[in-house]
Amino acid sequence: MEADDDRQMAGFKDFYQFSAPTRVIAGRDLLDSVGFEFAKEGASRVLLVTDGGIRATGLVERVLAGVTDSGLEVAAIFDAVPQDSDGAAVASIAELARETGADSFLALGGGSVIDSAKVANLLFTHGGEARDWEGYYGLPRADDGAGRALELAPLAAIPTTAGTGSEVSFAAVIKDRDAQLKYQIGDFPLIPRLAILDPASTATLPQAIAAATGMDALTHAIEGYVSRDWNAHTDAYALHALRLIRANLERAVHGGDETARGNMLIAASLAIVPTTSGALGIAHSLSHPCGAIYNVPHGVANAINLPVTIEYNAAGGEDIAARYRDVAELLGVEPRGEVGHALAERVRELVGSLGLPTRLSQVGVPEAGIPQLVEGAMGDACTLVNPRVPSAEDLAELYRQAL
Amino acid sequence: MAYFSDEQEVYRYLGQLFLDLLDDPELAPKFRTANTIVQYRYRNPDSQITVKLIEAEEGQVDLGPTRLEPEVVMTMDADTAHRFWLGKVNVTVALARGQMKAKGPVAKILRLVPLTKPVFPRYKAQLEAAGRSDLANA
Repeated sequence: MEADDDRQMAGFKDFYQFSAPTRVIAGRDLLDSVGFEFAKEGASRVLLVTDGGIRATGLVERVLAGVTDSGLEVAAIFDAVPQDSDGAAVASIAELARETGADSFLALGGGSVIDSAKVANLLFTHGGEARDWEGYYGLPRADDGAGRALELAPLAAIPTTAGTGSEVSFAAVIKDRDAQLKYQIGDFPLIPRLAILDPASTATLPQAIAAATGMDALTHAIEGYVSRDWNAHTDAYALHALRLIRANLERAVHGGDETARGNMLIAASLAIVPTTSGALGIAHSLSHPCGAIYNVPHGVANAINLPVTIEYNAAGGEDIAARYRDVAELLGVEPRGEVGHALAERVRELVGSLGLPTRLSQVGVPEAGIPQLVEGAMGDACTLVNPRVPSAEDLAELYRQAL
Repeated sequence: MAYFSDEQEVYRYLGQLFLDLLDDPELAPKFRTANTIVQYRYRNPDSQITVKLIEAEEGQVDLGPTRLEPEVVMTMDADTAHRFWLGKVNVTVALARGQMKAKGPVAKILRLVPLTKPVFPRYKAQLEAAGRSDLANA
């Protein structure tokens, strides 16, 4: 198999950048001291961003008490973030922050809530509409664009799922409902200043969501490690995330014990770090349009698409297969036969044991939809950093295999 | 020293490449699936190429001033653009290093990047045919 001439899967790279600036606090009973911690990041009057599901669990009241006990004020609560965040929601949050004199954002929820708070913070600080900011490294910078990126208001995140890692990531995914696509905004100022990882925040997480979001974390770790934009720093994060996921995911989903849930929160926040260096792959490219067009939850789509992309990528060259062998070893896969197939089978077993769907056809994706899905996947930035360069025909075949 | 001496050289080589691509019966329809108007703003030398890639419409390449309204704007040194078409620039790295800046729905353009690979030898051959092996081997 001929390797792509610009692919380098080992050795010393010509360039990479690494940044993980979020102050992470992990442990037990942290929700009572949210305000104490957030004040250190410059917050004084907080807009809490959450969704209706979280509101119903009682978690909001506990966090609010933790905010006000430390002397911070609560400007307002926005609890209407939709399942997939959109431009209208983030505009409403930014407007509410202005109307109520908020100076900081506290996101309490899953990926959509945290991403909403990130983009609302961007609109609150720099104005415009969400779509105006689509792309990477496009936020305003000092010195006519050549200097340091201008800071946004303080943002803290308390994830209530263990999967997206958005609490430490530099990107936000927003849905354009009219265009049936999801777009990304990525730049360093979007990274939350503070992430609070407390298993109390996932105590009421439904089993199916714990499973899907956990598979999202696994996908981040695997794709981050095998991406052509891998680097030595993020390898360390991805590999330890894999260790934690192997030891804790099934326990967290089935038993729900606090230790496993806490470790999965940590795993998710480690697994996402490679994406800040741009490292992902086509499991995400395949999954984004599934969510945008057919409302397939992101973690579920990743769980379904990950095995077929492992088999496809691992067959793309010995240098790629070597990286998958590292992953397989950490996940306890017996080193027999082709690593791609063996690892994919292990992932399929895991998906099955977690009770998740294993085929796209089970979650409402029709075969007739493949051409539109391929169009979305080809345009996804994750495709560019996949270790193997896929053609549109390759992506169509992967969708057919996953169907 | 910059590869291109003035904007006319940019148009003569990079501009011609875009014109040829949009005349290519195989590649042009694929590029037009981007459904956008992209403007490449080059520095050193200052120059501008605007390309209309709209499905079911004729392609259009404007070298210099244009009446087309771009949806996506890509800004970079002309040297970076030249090296890109020689297959020597990793787009994601160039974005990360600030060598390329993208504004607008960049996904529409990123989806074209894998399609550009067969164009690299064509650009090199075009430069060599024009007697510019200095540029072809940059």
